[in-house]
Amino acid sequence: MTQAPYKILVVDDEPDLEHLVRQRMRRQVRTGRFFFVFAQNGVEALEKLNDDPEIDMVLTDINMPKMDGLTLLEQISKVDPNIRSVVVSAYGDMQNIRTAMNRGAFDFVTKPIDFKDLRVTIDRTLHHLTLWREALASRDKLVSLQNELDVAHQMQQSILPSTFPERVGCQIYGSMEPARDVGGDFFDIVNLDKGHLGLAIGDVSDKGVPAALFMMSCRTLLKGAAIGDPSPAKVLGVVNQLLEEDNQAGLFVTMFFAVFDPARGTLVYANGGHNPPLLVHADGRSTLLPSTDGIALGVVPNLTYQEKTISLSPGDSLVLYTDGVTEAMNSSDEEFGLDRLQQVLEVAGSHNARVANQAIFAAVHAFAGERPQFDDITCLTLRHSERAP
Amino acid sequence: MDIDVERKNETLIAKVTGRVDSANAREFEQALSGAIGDDSKVILDLGALSYISSSGLRVLLLVAKALRNKGAEFALCSLSDPIREVFEISGFDKIIPIYGSLMEVMED
Repeated sequence: MTQAPYKILVVDDEPDLEHLVRQRMRRQVRTGRFFFVFAQNGVEALEKLNDDPEIDMVLTDINMPKMDGLTLLEQISKVDPNIRSVVVSAYGDMQNIRTAMNRGAFDFVTKPIDFKDLRVTIDRTLHHLTLWREALASRDKLVSLQNELDVAHQMQQSILPSTFPERVGCQIYGSMEPARDVGGDFFDIVNLDKGHLGLAIGDVSDKGVPAALFMMSCRTLLKGAAIGDPSPAKVLGVVNQLLEEDNQAGLFVTMFFAVFDPARGTLVYANGGHNPPLLVHADGRSTLLPSTDGIALGVVPNLTYQEKTISLSPGDSLVLYTDGVTEAMNSSDEEFGLDRLQQVLEVAGSHNARVANQAIFAAVHAFAGERPQFDDITCLTLRHSERAP
Repeated sequence: MDIDVERKNETLIAKVTGRVDSANAREFEQALSGAIGDDSKVILDLGALSYISSSGLRVLLLVAKALRNKGAEFALCSLSDPIREVFEISGFDKIIPIYGSLMEVMED
């Protein structure tokens, strides 16, 4: 992008000055970097500034009839704070120079005008103006990027479940808090045949926009695969294959997928490299789900995943979480850790899924205190409730 | 995060010290790919690695893939328990060979 020539307004009641400036600066004007317009006093200058938004710089005398240069300076910043002004003062007139600087003048030159000095001053002022405008443009760009991220944040949150299925025999509640505007964590609940529920949690490597894009495709592939054939091992195998085929960036996702049958309390699950979920018993004790030895998805083609089956008793809960929970740090560089999570669940595990899930977030936030959140935090709780008599 | 590199009999040994997280994963990637040349065997000594995030794991997977495509060997050694756990949970211990000590991997 080439900069249009800068327009400099010269304000002086001396009728000869216009001629002098045009003559002494003609070579610089010819290069096309800037050109001049003229006014005889502050009032006329202000009219021109109001009429012409393209004026970039003002070079003004101080002593003029109708409106002097110092009064004009005060007015310029009201017309456009991005205009830069240079005052022309009598030699050694520090009083007026100080006042001018206080009123926002960028620089000054003294009378009689040394045109060599004026050229340098104009160059410096215009250079400053160029940088200033670049900074303003970057700021605007950042603001618009931030706006886009805000929309992306809303889009991402809107694809995560916000209402939770109510079934006889189970309650579910989940939540994801990204560390930045958008995150790579996700969870999902899929309604399957025979009243079964698919539960998924995943954590894409890395954070921010690349992770969020990858997360969106993981979630869609997972849903598609689960509706096709809900066997957890097969679901992970299909999603792994589809992710791996087109994965130049080397991203991967750790993913746990389970199918719960609320009528029988059975849970079939497969784990692709994700933190093992906690099975919380009615008495508050919790144990990690036995591993199924799966590798995170998107890295190795043609993987076969294993699955395991467990039974949940009424009152048992299953807590799926990402490492944003266990690796949350406090200001002393300590991790929240699995032990603290289990302590929270000793008490919270006996409550309903929503209360238990919210208690985990509250405990993590209380632990982290002022320390900024480093990773996305996600938690999904399934509680196998007592059946209605 | 620091990487010290030495070469012994066509084997590149890179010792990684400190943390690798999303803030310095790119730097980690550039440092590793810059250090690795035509070596037929590359060993990362992670004994002094205090933390690795998923973005750091991603870099190791990319290095492993690039070396595999060149027909070079790649191994990790001396992992502390928490770091080893990260590899075990993600299943990446099944993709990248992990040895107990540098001596073990050199003899292998």
